[in-house]
Formats: sequence, C-alpha cells, structure tokens
Amino acid sequence: MTDGVPATDRAGAPPFAMTGGVVRRDGREVLSGVDLRVGAGDVLAILGPNGAGKSTLVKALLGLVPLAAGRTEIYGEPPARFRGWRRVGYVPQRLPMGGGVPSTVREVVASGRIARRSRWLPALVTDRAADRAAVDRALEAVGLAGRARDSAHLLSGGQQQRVLIARALAGEPDVFVMDEPTAGVDAASQAALAATLRGLADAGRTVVLVAHELGPLEPLITRTVELEHGRVARESARDMTGRMTGSTAGSAAGSAA
Amino acid sequence: MTEMLQFDFMRIALVMAVLIGLTAPAVGTFVVQRRLSLLGDGVGHIALTGIGLGLLTGSSPVLGALVVAVLGAVAIEVLRARSRSGADVALALLFYGGLAGGVILTNAQGGGSSLQSYLFGSISSVSASDLYVVAALAVVVLGIVAVFGRELFLLCQDEEVARAAGLPVRFLSVLIAVTAAVTVVIAMRAIGLLLVSALMIVPVAAAQQVTRGFRSTMLLAMGAGVLSAVSGLAASFEYDLPPGPSIVLLALALFLAAAAGGTVVRRRRARRAGEVVPGPAGPGERPRVDAEAEVISG
Repeated sequence: MTDGVPATDRAGAPPFAMTGGVVRRDGREVLSGVDLRVGAGDVLAILGPNGAGKSTLVKALLGLVPLAAGRTEIYGEPPARFRGWRRVGYVPQRLPMGGGVPSTVREVVASGRIARRSRWLPALVTDRAADRAAVDRALEAVGLAGRARDSAHLLSGGQQQRVLIARALAGEPDVFVMDEPTAGVDAASQAALAATLRGLADAGRTVVLVAHELGPLEPLITRTVELEHGRVARESARDMTGRMTGSTAGSAAGSAA
Repeated sequence: MTEMLQFDFMRIALVMAVLIGLTAPAVGTFVVQRRLSLLGDGVGHIALTGIGLGLLTGSSPVLGALVVAVLGAVAIEVLRARSRSGADVALALLFYGGLAGGVILTNAQGGGSSLQSYLFGSISSVSASDLYVVAALAVVVLGIVAVFGRELFLLCQDEEVARAAGLPVRFLSVLIAVTAAVTVVIAMRAIGLLLVSALMIVPVAAAQQVTRGFRSTMLLAMGAGVLSAVSGLAASFEYDLPPGPSIVLLALALFLAAAAGGTVVRRRRARRAGEVVPGPAGPGERPRVDAEAEVISG
C-alpha cells in the first residue's frame, strides 16, 4: 500500500491513512498489521465475517481504539492531535439505551452539530437558524421529518439507524464513518440509506462503511477491503468501466478460502 | 403553610428546598443517563469524612464536605475510566472508607447527635450563612448545566461519538462527577448524606415515565424535585418528621404515580403511532413526509 505519496503532506493528506495498524484486546490481536489509505471521495466498504476486526478497524481509524503498533492519521494528523473533528461524522452501530432517559429524534440529530459550535461564545441567531436548517435537512434526507418529536428509543432498529445517520449528516462533515449501517435494517430503511449514500457520493463526500453484505449499496461502492482474522485479505476497486476488480493480499493469501 | 413561614429557619429551609429541588434532578438527569446512579450515593459516603474533618479542625463542616466530596468524585471518575474490572471493588473501598472515617471523626468530636443530622438531614440547624453557600453552589451547578448541557448530553448518550466529535471527554467526565459532588453537598443539610442521591435519581425516574425527550425529562424532573422537596419539608414541619426521609418518600410517591400514568400514556401513544407508522419514506418522497408531519402535529 506504499504508493509513494508522503503521508506528512498535510495540505493534500488523505482522510485516513493507517500503516501497520495493530490492535490488541485482552492479549489477543484483533488487528494484525493493517495498511489502509482512504482517499478523498472514496466510497469504501470494509467487508468480512464476524470477528474479522471490521468495527475495530474503523474505531482505530478514528482513534477511538488505541493502536498497539503502527500509526494512523486523520487528514495527516494522529488522532490525538487532530483538531478538525467537524470534518468527520461517525455513525456508531446502535443508539445506546444508557440509563433510559428518553431523547427525541430531533435532540439526537441536533447533537450532531456540536463539533461546529463554540462552547463559550453564545450562539448567534444566525447560528441557531443554521443549526435548525441543517437538522431539518438531515431529518428529511433520511425520511424521518415527521418523527422529530418522537422518542428515538421507541423507533424500530432501522429507523434508529437512520436517526444516527441523520445526526452525522447534520454536522455536514466531509467524511462519514459508518459502523454496520445496514445490520438488522428493514428494506425501507435500506432504501433510504442507499439514497442518502448516493447523495453523499454525488457530492464528493468520502464514506467508509462497515458491512456484512452490501445489498442495495453495492452499485455505490467504489472500493472494498475485505478483512479476515484482523488482516486485509482482499481488496477491490471500481475500474474505468465500472467493474470491480480485485486483488488478494499476498500476506494473507494462505488464509484466504 | 402560613404558620411555618413565621419561623425564620423555616423560611430559610424552604428557599433551600427549592434550590435543592431544582439542582439535584438537573444534574441527576445526566447522572442517570450515564448509568452512574450510585455515584451520588458514594460521594455522600465520602463527604461524611469531610464533615468529620471540618468539625475536627474547627472549620466549616460544609466546606470540609465540599473539598472531600469533590476530591472523592475525581477519584471515582479516575478509577472508573482507568479500569473496567477492578473499579467496582475500588469504589466500594472508597465508599466504606469514607463512611467509617466520617463516623469515627465526628465521634472523636463528640458530635454523635450532629452525625445523625448530617446522615438524615435536619432543618432546624440550617443558618442563613448556610443558605448563602448553598445558593452560590446552586448557581454554579445550574450554570454548568446551562453552558455544558449540549456536550454533556452527547457524552452521556455515547462516549465514543462524543470523542469522535472532538469533545474533551475526560474533562467532561470529571466535570459531571464534580458537579454531582457539589450537588450532594448542596442537598446534604436538608436531606442528609445517606438519602441525598435519591433526589438526584427518583424525580428523573419519575419524569422519564411520561416524557419523550431529554430536555423535557430534565425540566419535569426539576418540577418534581421542587414539589417533593417543598412538600416534604412542610410535612416534616407539620408532623415533626425528619425532612430527608419525608422528601424522599414523597418523590417516590410521585414516581409511582408517574409510572402508572406513563403506562397509560405509552399505550395510547403506541396505538396512535400504529396508525401513523411511516412506510418506506425515502428522501425522494417529500410530500408524503410532510403529510406525516401534519398527522403527527395535528
């Protein structure tokens, strides 16, 4: 994956660049030396069986899980020093229940604007209007405008997933990182997700998503990386003719079925 | 009611009850969502050592409690963040150490009866200067909730998402623990250290039975907190009961009423939602989404 572009070139630094990423949990290697570079405008799917390390990989890219070895950068900065979080929208696997205090759909989605707001400066009227407009747009994009005042936890799993995506949309980031947005999601929500993703791809946004299987998202994906046992087993990218062509990573060839 | 207003100490205690009723549930909403319901309890135990130290050194017990409670809250947060497995026992050690230490220290002072009043609350001992301290602390707590509310909401919702939004997660975690500790000190004179966290938790538990949002839960919990604090205080004056337990029992009664009411509300809401459940409302179907909005708001 060393393609000669210096990773320290901050101006043109890619959204994510990981080299030799190793993550250990309880003495076991969950990621064992992953090289991954995500370019601006990529719509990358991270595939693989359960326990292959897909979620760990995206969390490590964001610095949510520490690396035991190797390094990773977000727009040219290690996560601990990265300050441009408003450029990143993270969509976790699920909406945690927490202690059971309810939140409305609108409250959850509006919290996606936090990275854009200063804590100390009082919000100007125009800021508030911009926040409201962005939240409205995000809710409409995922088809939940009519549910804004409902309790988010009482929605179906697929609708909750759309709420989480809307939260990331509301922040208007450049990069979206989605952890299994399609897992356990009904057909309607899958269609809504595909339409949202198409909009993002057309707008030139970068998307990294973890998926078990792609389903209706397949035509939107420009690259795939397949993990097995914490290593990149296969990669593929869409060529000029729109077909996916892949390669099997040499280091993991032995374990590839 | 008018009779008890004739007494100076009751007027002071009533203002205090209102302040406690507002602050404890406001902080409690975050604490409950963060699954730290026992944090207030632990801080209360630890604060007892601070009271003992305050009495022993001849300085203010409230000040002693404040310092030790805040230090204890920071220690709890550090333990919680550091280790996942050992934290449980470490916290227990801290709690019991604080309680035992407090009892020994107040005893050494010959303050056995004042110990009782700190454990379960007492209104007659509250002075005007106590009230000023409590009022200042209440302003601090409510200010923190106002300034950091949005960030604390996201932190309590999902810590990883908060971190990926660039929030100072460690600072905010300590902030919420310290705010809870200050709240414990605010409420300890009236309610007592052993029951203080009940007023952080029970009104929130009551409110969330009938609300749909975080903000509405917090506001309703604050209303329930003021209601139970003031009426509990009145009851304790009227029937010569200890104030803390009266307040807590009234808050629990509100919880039971809300739980019963909430079941009805939810059933009705579920029935209504069943009629309006949105179908496959993709982004390309805006007219339909608008129609839905009308049905729901109408």
